This record gives sequence, structure tokens and C-alpha cells, in this order.
Amino acid sequence: MDWNTITSVGLKLLGINIAFVVVLMIVAYTVLAERRVLALIQGRLGPNRVGYGGILQPFADLLKFIFKEEIVPDKATKFVYFLAPFIAIVGALMTIIVYPFGPDVNLPVIGAVRLVAAQFDVSLLYVLAITSIGVYGIALAGWSSNNKYSLMGGLRASAQLISYELSLGLSLVGVVLLSGSLDLFSIVEQQTNRWGFGTTANIFLQPLSWNIFLQPLGFIIYLISAIAETNRVPFDLPEAETELVAGFHTEYSALKFALFFMAEYVNMFTVSMLATTLFLGGWNGPFVEQLPFLGVFYFLGKVIFFLFLYIWLRGTLPRFRFDQLMNFGWKFLLPVAILNVVLTATVYFVTMLF
Amino acid sequence: MTTFLFVLLAGLAIGSAIAMVVQRNPLYSAISLIGVFIALAGLYLTLAAPFLAAIQIIVYAGAIMVLVVFVIMLLNVEEEEHKPLRMGYLTVIAILLAAILFGEAGFILYFMGNSPLEPLNPNAVGNASNVGLTASIGTGLFTTYLLPFEITSVLLLMAIVGAMTLARRVGLLRPTDLVVPGSQVLTRQTLDPKAIGDATEVESSTTAEAARVLGLEGVPHRREE
Repeated sequence: MDWNTITSVGLKLLGINIAFVVVLMIVAYTVLAERRVLALIQGRLGPNRVGYGGILQPFADLLKFIFKEEIVPDKATKFVYFLAPFIAIVGALMTIIVYPFGPDVNLPVIGAVRLVAAQFDVSLLYVLAITSIGVYGIALAGWSSNNKYSLMGGLRASAQLISYELSLGLSLVGVVLLSGSLDLFSIVEQQTNRWGFGTTANIFLQPLSWNIFLQPLGFIIYLISAIAETNRVPFDLPEAETELVAGFHTEYSALKFALFFMAEYVNMFTVSMLATTLFLGGWNGPFVEQLPFLGVFYFLGKVIFFLFLYIWLRGTLPRFRFDQLMNFGWKFLLPVAILNVVLTATVYFVTMLF
Repeated sequence: MTTFLFVLLAGLAIGSAIAMVVQRNPLYSAISLIGVFIALAGLYLTLAAPFLAAIQIIVYAGAIMVLVVFVIMLLNVEEEEHKPLRMGYLTVIAILLAAILFGEAGFILYFMGNSPLEPLNPNAVGNASNVGLTASIGTGLFTTYLLPFEITSVLLLMAIVGAMTLARRVGLLRPTDLVVPGSQVLTRQTLDPKAIGDATEVESSTTAEAARVLGLEGVPHRREE
């Protein structure tokens, strides 16, 4: 262990911590934004009393979660009951490290730094793997609570996640085929200057080199299945209030409930980051080459647009019925996703010939 | 560092595997099995095969075990009770097989010398770091090993079709037929509009089956009128 290794490891740890803090702060304020925007849609005011316009509301909520009484059901399977929230939150947070937040930047003391905590060959597959582990949090929470409503919620969650994971994975295959890589950083780099759009005189044409213009169908399929994967409206059947009280987290209180709550919002954030990275060019945008730090703002701005989309959908759409959800996933979304893969491969092969 | 990781992950894998066999609650066994898969994925990572590690977690821990947990939760399997062993001769066979396994392990360790972590042929490791990468696995699967790969996928397709065939009911159902899970007892008047008041009981799992038993196959269905 020489001095260079130690500094590089320290820098990595620092980077991971900064990423976590930034993401968790944005997640906390997503909750506030959700309540305010929903109120706006429904013609109410929403929480606006704590701080200026409710700006301190997330911290008030957190304090309340900490000081609430912790209630454990008598006949719960204790070990699994306590394990489930941790699986959920760890599965949600672990994927943050692979996303590229920005291009290579020059920092005053340290020198050139790449704004990604961990870059490796299969980072896209890593994201999919960790996301697929996250379902155990919900399923085990539903089972261990020893409550029929919770069990129904857990069962619905696992059935829904298995069904929509297929179309989610297949919708990403198109992008992988085109870029020939599973590394998120190089996928973003390829969207900087495709067909010369990044170097034209009109710098505002740069967005035309993003993947969304090559994979519009894949993008729509990804968006729908990502909403289903995060259990959000209109796919929030695992916690349907009208049927299941609160679904899988009925029996959870205090900080354990807060962990589930946070896991849901972090999951929303990470699927938005994946959509931004793969389809909307990540940190790419006009003037990033001159001002590399602008990339971070572009990236977070695009992610926040997706978060707004989530809230917007919640304010406008009713919930699916369970048979509609299954029919839509298996009989419509999956065939369309397969068609997208076949179409992309065929067109790519034909253009390679000429 | 690599040795430390190997010992850690291998210990985790073996411990979880033992826990999986010993546990009486089937859900705990399933969770232990997930632990085994994750530890194996970690071992693949130390062997410079990141693609295999990711696929291991996606396919086994993420898909197959979710289904297993789903079924355990759905059937609400109770804890296994202590029962006298039905087939006593299995113990003898198990001990014999375990002895053979340990014999094999000892044989390999003996002929590899004192350092089992070093590969047998040092010349074969020339480009070992590339073997586990996605590109080389893809190239291998679609060129050298294309035939085994295709045969495996056809085999899986056959398994799916076979499961469908086994699960399907005999004969095709008319769109108006009522299918009820499990068997049921129907009266003759639910099947034949002309036999109102006839309460002869027929046991079946669909209305079509019941109609066949009663010899009413050509009669228009009640719901068609």
C-alpha cells in the first residue's frame, strides 16, 4: 500500500459519500415536492408551515419517524421481520455508485477526476442484479408480518416484479446492441457526438445524438416497466390502500417504515438515473465541453424531470386492476419489447452491410 | 487479499449451504440458498469473471429464488416436523457418496502439491484476465460453442412446452365454459337448459367435462342462449 493507492481509495470513499449525501437530499426533497405538486394538482396547499414554504418539512418528518413508538406484531417471524427493511434499503442504495454524474473534471488540488464512483465492465448488469435482489425486502416483509393484507401485498409485489423485470431487461438490450458495451460511462460517452451532432456550429443540436432518438420504443417500454418495478401509481398494487390497508408495510412503524419509504424513493431516483444515462445522454448537453461541471447539473436536471413525471402520473392516473396489470405485462409489453430487440438487431445488421 | 476474500466467501457459501439443509422452516432454507448464490457470485468476481457473477445473481438469486419464495409464501408451507426416517438405506448411500467426494478432494489436493490456489499449467493463464469479460464470453458462445448453446436453448424451450402440455386440461374448452379450480359438483340443470329441476349430481372441474359425462355435448350451453 503506497501513498498513491491510499489517496485514490480515500478519494473513492469521499466520492461515494458525496454521491450518497446528494442523492439522499434529493430523495428527501422529492417527498416534499411530491406532496406539494400533488396538492397543486388537487387544488390544495400541501405542507407549507415548516420553514419557508415547507422547506424544512423532510427533517420534521424524519424527527417524527425517529420518535414514534416501535410496534412489533406478537406473532411476526422476528428475524425476517427485522431483516426485510434492510434488504430493501441496501438494495436501493447499492446501485448509486455506478452512475456517471459528470464527465472528467479538473479539481484545484487533486487534478483530473472522473465523476463516477466505480467504473467496471458490467455496470449495467450490476444495476439489474442489485435491483432484482431488492424484491426480497418487500416479499419477506409481507410474509414475516403474519398479516393477511401484508402477505397479499408481498405476493403481488413479487408477481409484479418478476413479470415486469423481463420487459425492463429486454428494453435495455436495444441500447446495449447499439453501443456494444455494458459499461454505463462508455454508453454515455457515445452519446456525446453521434453523426457529428456534437460538433456542429449550432451547439443546441447536441441532444440529437442521444439514444432516445434511436430507441424511442425501447425508451417507452423502459419507462412503463420502470414505473411498475418501483411500485408506483398506476402500478402500486402491492400497497393499494383501498384494498390492502397499506400492503406489505401494514405492520411496520417508526424507522422501519421510514426505511421502506426511503427505499421506494431511492428506487425511483435510481431508475430515473438509469433512464437518463441510457436514453437521455447522461451528463451530455450544450456547452459541457467548455464547462465540465455543467454536466452534473444537466444529469441531475434530467433525473429531476423523471421524478416530476412520476408525481405527475400519480396525480392523474387511477390504479390498474391486478388482471389488467398481468395481461398488459405479459401479453402486450413483453412481445413489443421482443419486437424492439429484433427490429434493432435487423436494422443494425442491414446498416452494417452498406 | 485474494486469499482472504476466497476464505471469506467460501466460508459464507459453505455456512449458508449447511444452514439451508439444517433449517426446518422452508423460507429460512430459501434465504440461506440466496446467501449461497451471492457468495458464489463473489467468488466469480475474485476469479475475474464479472459477467458470470452478474448473471449468477440476476438469474439464480433474482429470478429463480424469487419464484421459490413466492411459492413458499403462496402455499404457506408449515415447519417440517420430526419424523422417523422412511428410507434408512439412504443414510448409508449418503455416507458412501460423501466419502467418495472427500476422497476426490484429497486426491486433487495431494497431486497439486501444497498450493492449491496456483493453476496446474502456468502457460494457460496468458490471457486469463480476458476470459471472463462480456465480449469474450459472447464471442465464445456465438462462434466456438454455438451448437451446444443452441441445443441448450432448444432444451429449455422443450421444458417450457412440456410444462404447458402437462398443466393444460384435456380437450379444448368452448369460450362459454366455466372453469372452476379444483373439482366441483354440478347439477344437471346448470348444463342442460331443457332439464330444469333435474338435480342429478356430476363431479368435474369444468362444465364441458360434466356435459361430456352426462352425454350432453351437442346441447347448446346455458350461457349461449
